[in-house]
Amino acid sequence: MIKEQSKTKALAVCSVLVIGFLLSACAGTKNLALDTTFPVPLIDKLPMRLGVYLDEDLRGYVYNEKLEKKGEWNVDVGSVQTELFTNLAAGLFEGHQLVTETSAPNFDGVLEPEITDLQFSLPTQTRSNFYEVWIRYNFKLYDSNGNTIGDWPLPAYGKASKEDFSSASSGVEAAAVAACRDAMAFFVLNFQKVPAVKQWLAAGKPQLPPAPAPIPAPAAESASPGEATDSQPSTSTEPSAST
Amino acid sequence: MKTTRSTAHVFLSASIIALTALAVSGCVTSTVEQVRESATGMSAGDSVVVLGRRNRPSQTQTELDFIDCVSNNMADGSNSVAVITEQDFMDAMFPWFEPRTAPLNTNELPGLLQQPVLAERLREIGLKYLVWVEGSTKRTSQTGSMSCTATPGGAGCFGFLTWDNDSSYEASIWNAHTAKTAGKVSSDAAGTSYIPAIVVPIPIIARVQTSACSKLADQLKIFVQDEV
Repeated sequence: MIKEQSKTKALAVCSVLVIGFLLSACAGTKNLALDTTFPVPLIDKLPMRLGVYLDEDLRGYVYNEKLEKKGEWNVDVGSVQTELFTNLAAGLFEGHQLVTETSAPNFDGVLEPEITDLQFSLPTQTRSNFYEVWIRYNFKLYDSNGNTIGDWPLPAYGKASKEDFSSASSGVEAAAVAACRDAMAFFVLNFQKVPAVKQWLAAGKPQLPPAPAPIPAPAAESASPGEATDSQPSTSTEPSAST
Repeated sequence: MKTTRSTAHVFLSASIIALTALAVSGCVTSTVEQVRESATGMSAGDSVVVLGRRNRPSQTQTELDFIDCVSNNMADGSNSVAVITEQDFMDAMFPWFEPRTAPLNTNELPGLLQQPVLAERLREIGLKYLVWVEGSTKRTSQTGSMSCTATPGGAGCFGFLTWDNDSSYEASIWNAHTAKTAGKVSSDAAGTSYIPAIVVPIPIIARVQTSACSKLADQLKIFVQDEV
């Protein structure tokens, strides 16, 4: 009898634990990291050498959203941006290198991508069969002295069918990978058609003189002495990822 | 003691019935049709890729596992052909066969193949035929009900469920050498699945999608290797 009672108690405890676990799995925090590799584009290389500047905001980009009854979602797309743009540049440009600022004297120019927005939706939200991800990139192209040549947006989209993925996390992850590939594909095929880039290439990639250094504010008006040292020029290239 | 033995006996019998039922599958009726527009044939070193259409604003999309199933079935068994996986092909040809950039019809192929880098890559991988697959499997109807109960003393289900699945797929075969459509093969399948449950549910599943896949793959193997 006592054995039976303890068995029932154990079952009840197990049931509570299982239900608790299931509830936490349903509505807990979902941390998505994209597990993928990006191909090198198959295209005739453009006769230009570009520095690629990926700032910390891009490399660390994690989209966060709290969904009602679906918990908190963290979609880390920043961690794949270095591979994405390294492979993109390797296929598209005759020469490339990752650089640490927007001017690079040994190159024709510098490309700076940025993610300005990301949105995603689940099939339950849209009553469709798809997990969908939208990523809005913004690109800036500078000449070697850091003068802006052009600035243009690039919307990318990816979807994944709910039939193909057993969990919402894997579905959103696949849609995010598709959106990254879409951005890459669209950039590769349309880079030369961007009006500012087209004009710059047609003009022979002219380099404007460096912008004059900002005049330092009088000492009495400066906010803090540390600011002056922050604006010192730094070296422009990293030794890694050269062609 | 007697009760425990009889409960164990019931579960043993039910398990045997369930295992037997697993071996039994529901009936599936399938149809395969083909339309040939030009002669086909494969030489040594030629390969085929099976791709799902993903660039249309549609509410359905061909299942990834269906594409894999057709690819694997074409690469296996008698009359097998060399098949490149969809992902390997898309990576090798990136960015030309992505959802937003893939050619929608054979008229767009010559333009692509004129690019030396693409033509060279196609030669490297020996691609002769591109097979574009469209379609999906849908549950068309469902009736019945089943209820299951779990208590500390045991668990069981009672009821009857039945549903119909309908698969409809069409494959367009493009010749990468001539940049023309070689023909079309369609595969349709339908079947009814049942789950009767008296204590233990006994699923009798009609493998509709699997049937559509194997029939389509078999016909595609014949189609691409047919010299006539």
